[in-house]
Amino acid sequence: MTGRPRWRLARRPVVGPRQQVQALALALVGAALVSALLLRVANADPVAGFVALYQGSFGSWPVAVESLVKAIPLILTGLGTTVAFRGRVWNIGQEGQLYAGAITAYWAYVTFPSLPRLPLILLILTFAMVGGALWGLVAGIIRVKAHVDEIITTIMLNYIVVYILSLLLSGVWRDPTSYYQQSPTVGASAQFPALIDGTRLHIGFAVGLIAAIAIYVLIEKTPLGYEIRALGLNPTAAGFQGIHVARTVLVLMLVSGSLAGLAGAGELFGNHYRLKAGISLGFGYTGIIIAMLAGLEPLAIVPAAIFFGGLVNGSYMLQIATGVPAALVSAIQAITLLFLLGGRAAVSYQIRIVRDG
Amino acid sequence: MGESLLQAAVVINVLATMVRTSTPLLFGAIGEVVTERSGVMNMGLEGTMLTAAFVGFLVAERSHSLLLAVVTACLAGGLFSLILAFMAITLDVDQIITGLAMNLLASGGTLFWFRIAYTQTTSQETPLVALLKPWPIPLLSEIPYLGPILFSHNALTYLAFLLVPVIWFGLYRTKRGLQIRSLGEDPRAADMGGINVRRLRYLAVVFGGMMAGLGGAFVSVGSVERFFPDMTAGRGWLAIVIVIAGNWKPGRILLATLLFAFLDAFQLQVQGVGVQIPYQILLALPYVLAIVVLIAGRARSIAPESLGLPYLRE
Repeated sequence: MTGRPRWRLARRPVVGPRQQVQALALALVGAALVSALLLRVANADPVAGFVALYQGSFGSWPVAVESLVKAIPLILTGLGTTVAFRGRVWNIGQEGQLYAGAITAYWAYVTFPSLPRLPLILLILTFAMVGGALWGLVAGIIRVKAHVDEIITTIMLNYIVVYILSLLLSGVWRDPTSYYQQSPTVGASAQFPALIDGTRLHIGFAVGLIAAIAIYVLIEKTPLGYEIRALGLNPTAAGFQGIHVARTVLVLMLVSGSLAGLAGAGELFGNHYRLKAGISLGFGYTGIIIAMLAGLEPLAIVPAAIFFGGLVNGSYMLQIATGVPAALVSAIQAITLLFLLGGRAAVSYQIRIVRDG
Repeated sequence: MGESLLQAAVVINVLATMVRTSTPLLFGAIGEVVTERSGVMNMGLEGTMLTAAFVGFLVAERSHSLLLAVVTACLAGGLFSLILAFMAITLDVDQIITGLAMNLLASGGTLFWFRIAYTQTTSQETPLVALLKPWPIPLLSEIPYLGPILFSHNALTYLAFLLVPVIWFGLYRTKRGLQIRSLGEDPRAADMGGINVRRLRYLAVVFGGMMAGLGGAFVSVGSVERFFPDMTAGRGWLAIVIVIAGNWKPGRILLATLLFAFLDAFQLQVQGVGVQIPYQILLALPYVLAIVVLIAGRARSIAPESLGLPYLRE
């Protein structure tokens, strides 16, 4: 006996790239609709808001270049998150590792201020990576040796490093002429050169692009990358396959932290030219959103970060043109992530017709 | 003689401050333990508290009713945690990433709303609201030493401490509590036993959110008379650490909370006296302690077996 056909939701056995794209589209449409709603709440015309957002992000060459500047730290923290998450290492500490890298890079600068420009900048980049990597390594060692999950330790370390920064900036590195807690302006030889003359787009952008390619090669083409992917698929099985889980976790924390450290140096020496808490506007956390949006694909991080850099840059025009607070964009970024997560879940289901009987 | 009186006053002051600053941590942790015992990890606790702190402030400022402010903050916490419930329980989405997204949403969302509500104000001149008044308990507050330490606080502080035995009783001595605990250990068996896994987990998540909401209310209208961005400053995260440090047991959670709160009270006292320790080191101590506590407590940890795992039927 056959019953009447019924609709049933069932999980797809495999979620392919097509579903991934559907989820992304769903997330962007959803986020746009919520943005429109929030613009209305703020008594602004949504269309005017979107126009302002576009004009302030990619509407002209000067603002587009500035959007690229804003994208630089996001590329690096997005990559840092990607490489860690690919190996199921939940490094939420990019924010702290960014500051740690900025602190050590600044230390290198004040210790060797009279170096010529090229070696000085290379030294700054190296120390930024070392500082970020070491701060990441703290959480890595605690995970490997004491078996404490890295999620909460990395978050605690984020809080701790901000106090260390504040301690340094109220003491040894304080700018005595300033009311604010910040270092003096760094010398011209330490300031990152422009990538395009006459613009604010500094060499950090090139560093970001090189890092994206390097991380892609690392994950896809090297033996270490194989271990990372194996760890990402199944940590227990990876252990049985003779993969050094502990060593891979430590290496991932080092690589991830060093990328965040570079982001810190870029903001310090390429954008603000001072060490201060304001060099990061939560870029470590935004990096997580970008990594998820890019589906943990290193090369997709670059366009995702540029998109978010544009949003951040456009939010200033939005505020000027419509009076809507620029903080809208931070809320929208989080909403995009929530929609993406929900969208992924939604597209992983398919409707099947089943017959009882 | 005068010296020892002064010392006694300092000790009383530190301990009373400890009890007071316990409040938001205790609310957060005591709610989170119920959530986690049901098998769901609310990593969005920080954002839930922040949202509630803002809502409490906004309602207090607009309505001039602190009772209404506390109640709406509590509801706001519950509503905000519905995001996690829907994503994690209905859609089986990763709980950790969802929680992080909630924190980012709260951070950006409260700032956005705050700027809309107070367009004219700069950060220096945010509006002030009345503070929850201390409510000394008659007779008990007269007891030397114990009175000022335990019985001279505001209603939220009493409520937080009273909830500890209530939650203990609820989790260990009621049928509903047994069901919640069974969800965290073996949801499949619970399902077979006729428990509606999803519905009960929803309840546990929303309850945890409402408790975090009360904690958030304390942070804004219970301890300072204003709101500022990210004012919960990691208290939600510390509440999660406290749940782990307290080994998912209400009594131990109370002890862990007091430890963190003592550090906070000590820090405030030291700063007040003007001892030459940089304040940054004192402020970083709770987070250092959190890491130490996690390392020390790891060996005897009894996390719920199915914590953080989605429950898929079939």
